[in-house]
Amino acid sequence: MTALRRHLERLRETDDLVSVTEHVHWDGAVAEVASEAIRHNCPVTLFENTSGAVRPVSGVYGGADQFASADQQPWQRITQALDLGAERSYIELIERLARWQSSAVDDRVTDKPAATVREGIDMYSLGLPTDGNGTPLVSMGLLVVEANGVTTWAPIRGRVQRSRTLRLAVPEAVTKWCSPSADVSVVFGVSAAALIAALQGWTQGQTTPTVPELAAGLTDVPVTTIDSRIVPTDAEVRIDGRMSPVESEAVIDETKPKAAWELACETTTVDVDAEAIALREEPIVPFTPLGEPLTDDLHLMCLVETAKLFRRVNNYWGVSPVEWIQLPVEGQLGFCIVSSEILYAGFEWQLANTLFSFSDLFDKVLILDEQADPSNLARAIDDMWVKAHPANDWIFSEPNASSATAPLYRSDGSNGSRLYINATWDPRWDEEYIAPRVNFETSFSENVLESVADRWEELGLDALLDERGVSDVRE
Amino acid sequence: MTIHSFRQYLQTLETRGDLHRISEPVSWNLEASAVTMLLNVEDSAVPLFESVESAQLVGDPYRGTQRRPWDRIALGLGLPPDLSYSEYYESVIDRLKDPIEPVTVSADDAPCKEEIRTGDEIDLLDFPWPYIHAGDGGRYSNVHTLIAPDPDSDWVDWSNHRTMIHDSETSSVLLLAGEQTPNLYYYKYEERNEPMPVAIAVGVEPAVRYTSVMWIPTGRNEAEYAGGLKREPVELVPCETNDLLVPATAELVIEGEILPNERRDEGPFGDYFGYMHGPRRSMPLFRVTGITHQTDPILPFCVEGTGVGHSENTTSSMEVGCVGPDATLGLRTAQFDVECCAPWKSTPRTIYTISTEKTNPSYLHDMANFIFTTWGMLHVDFFIFVDADVNPLDQREVLEALALYADPDTDFHQFGVETMPKVPLNIYQTPTEKGDIQTGTSKAKTAKAYIDATSDRSARKSQPTGDVERRYRAQKILERAGVDTSTLSFVDPGEGAQ
Repeated sequence: MTALRRHLERLRETDDLVSVTEHVHWDGAVAEVASEAIRHNCPVTLFENTSGAVRPVSGVYGGADQFASADQQPWQRITQALDLGAERSYIELIERLARWQSSAVDDRVTDKPAATVREGIDMYSLGLPTDGNGTPLVSMGLLVVEANGVTTWAPIRGRVQRSRTLRLAVPEAVTKWCSPSADVSVVFGVSAAALIAALQGWTQGQTTPTVPELAAGLTDVPVTTIDSRIVPTDAEVRIDGRMSPVESEAVIDETKPKAAWELACETTTVDVDAEAIALREEPIVPFTPLGEPLTDDLHLMCLVETAKLFRRVNNYWGVSPVEWIQLPVEGQLGFCIVSSEILYAGFEWQLANTLFSFSDLFDKVLILDEQADPSNLARAIDDMWVKAHPANDWIFSEPNASSATAPLYRSDGSNGSRLYINATWDPRWDEEYIAPRVNFETSFSENVLESVADRWEELGLDALLDERGVSDVRE
Repeated sequence: MTIHSFRQYLQTLETRGDLHRISEPVSWNLEASAVTMLLNVEDSAVPLFESVESAQLVGDPYRGTQRRPWDRIALGLGLPPDLSYSEYYESVIDRLKDPIEPVTVSADDAPCKEEIRTGDEIDLLDFPWPYIHAGDGGRYSNVHTLIAPDPDSDWVDWSNHRTMIHDSETSSVLLLAGEQTPNLYYYKYEERNEPMPVAIAVGVEPAVRYTSVMWIPTGRNEAEYAGGLKREPVELVPCETNDLLVPATAELVIEGEILPNERRDEGPFGDYFGYMHGPRRSMPLFRVTGITHQTDPILPFCVEGTGVGHSENTTSSMEVGCVGPDATLGLRTAQFDVECCAPWKSTPRTIYTISTEKTNPSYLHDMANFIFTTWGMLHVDFFIFVDADVNPLDQREVLEALALYADPDTDFHQFGVETMPKVPLNIYQTPTEKGDIQTGTSKAKTAKAYIDATSDRSARKSQPTGDVERRYRAQKILERAGVDTSTLSFVDPGEGAQ
């Protein structure tokens, strides 16, 4: 099990975390610094000195822009946070998330939570980073609510409304599943498994309320009981209170920007009136500057949606031709890439339209051959421009498709077209038509490569390439 | 500092620690190329092979870094090494707007005349032209300036057309109709059954090299633009066997003529878009009449195909550093309101992104229509239009715009299906579609497309705040926290967001 603190320790050990020790006020400046850090592929940024009760940290489950970094993979922090190791491949991560396994949590219940109730603390004194208007914002947390003996965890996004009140967007299905005025907890600083499971439970079409069990299926998540609710033991901050629906029509507009998960499900707004606020010692609260590129919520949602598609598409035709699927974070959920064996002429049409059927987020799909590398987005997009015929392989549907939720056009919900780009080799082509990629294997014989490897030091390459050999580079 | 020669440029690279000398013997037969590919992929130094038979080779000398592809090109112009992309673009544009006439020097003052070979002394095979990829059709010179005159005026075109060495006196030159020099050859010289006098200058000074890949308008003196770029006159010297003037500081000059109605095999070749394309085709024959060169000449070459994805090479960096600013200027000169026109960084020559303030559909259509009818557009299949505050060189920003703002219903525009010309350097056409026609264009027509990825201003994802001071302060906080400053753009207060 990797609790947040252990995860941060690992990040620090691998030089992927910096501590900002100078005073940076939570009102505006913290979010500003976090935005710059994320935009420029900086390490995770922990703010140690902000005047608030909590230490905000950004980028915990985020990652690098794939175009800007050949060495860092955007999902590295998440694989690490799930105890899979930073070196685990993208496909292994997706396969793991796609398993969708539940595991009982009864044997994982611990005596007491890590956070203890504090007096004299209110929502403002927590020091949650604010937006430009000075309103403390809520992101990267979970709503914990119980109904009929089942506890669920759901994603939230919102703001501090008053000193004892949070105003939150939550999946509408949650409020239909439980009592609209239920006792709830709101937790911050929980593990990646808990956040991912909440997204899997409530944003994937068919709801799965048993989120703690889903999280336990991903990795070991210790839990404890507060009232009758099961909460993650290691939550850094826990706010216990009562939920009430917000009827005002105006709330939607006044609570922007939205989180990525809100594109995948209907939401409703609730208030949570706090009765108790519990904190760990020097609590650490992950947050992400919503609406910016490459934010943590985008990373998590891209992976969750991808895993759903991967699980549903493979075996859909009785076989598993799909190598990998990716909703690149850079495309903000509006663009899907699939790498697959093309089983027969026209299969690419089936494949693209199956993906459109299974997800409402995007209306553009890029299809690549099965040899494509999921860790090289730049090369994948290169294929879109050079391998797909500019006319024949850019296929537009009739303008009768329902609108996708991620793009910012047709926000009135009117119908339109979908597009898939077929950047695969035509199965009707003779083998001799297939152009090989320019790389070490196709450009040089083994003899040449061995000669370069043998002469590595003689050619002075050891000084340039940090002892890496030809074989390392080729890999 | 003004750079006057290729050698001086390499010395400047060396002073920055960007040149890797290899004194051990290295073969031109794939070995030099393998080492270069390795260093390209790893974003490392530029290799200078000092011992390759009778000359020196240098692999991808103008390759920039993956983060800043224009850096080494800027070095060749004596520009500061830390310019933002927009500062660099505007600097180049300013220089192109102020051409300087060349001067002619005597052979005694021209380094390229240190050795002169004519008649029986000519042997192309005396030089270590590299065999670059195992599947190539032959050995190539592919980083040079091809100099050819218009038979009907004083205009002389400088261009870059690769040439495949056949024997001691001949090579085939890749001339693709639609570009300036090929059009002179196919539609003037060959139609009149006359040979086209040509000089191929190898290892020219940076400004000359840069001008050779730019889309300089027909009829304009390219040497003046090179002078404008370096802020001093370019020195030219007459050839020995024809009337052409060539850059005096070139490492090596091959003089000769491209014969009418004569063809030789050319290709296949591992090309700029990252694939080994074919089929082998027939291209015009170049016959050598003279060779002049410096003592121990340094011959640059490019490992084509490595400038895609994350890695850079000379071609991809020059697209960003030379063609981009030139295209931006060209569009502005044509009265289009263009912030910047830049290539898609990981796909040279096939696709460009244009950021613009004016985004109404008819305006974008007219601009795309204008672009696709200009010479040289047979290589380019796509343009993406984005808002003025999107950095066209930031692929993340452009992909985001494509995903969020380009409506498949209304924003993808094709100039017909199978209506437009295409060079046969592509992998989406079959060999039959490419054909083997006399002018080096595909037999089958294809399409050109533009994508309107500009936003409806009422629905925008947040761009970096316009408050540059706040962003700068935020980045300074990260710097003091120990963040590697190379990852930060460090916005200059007072400058724009890029």
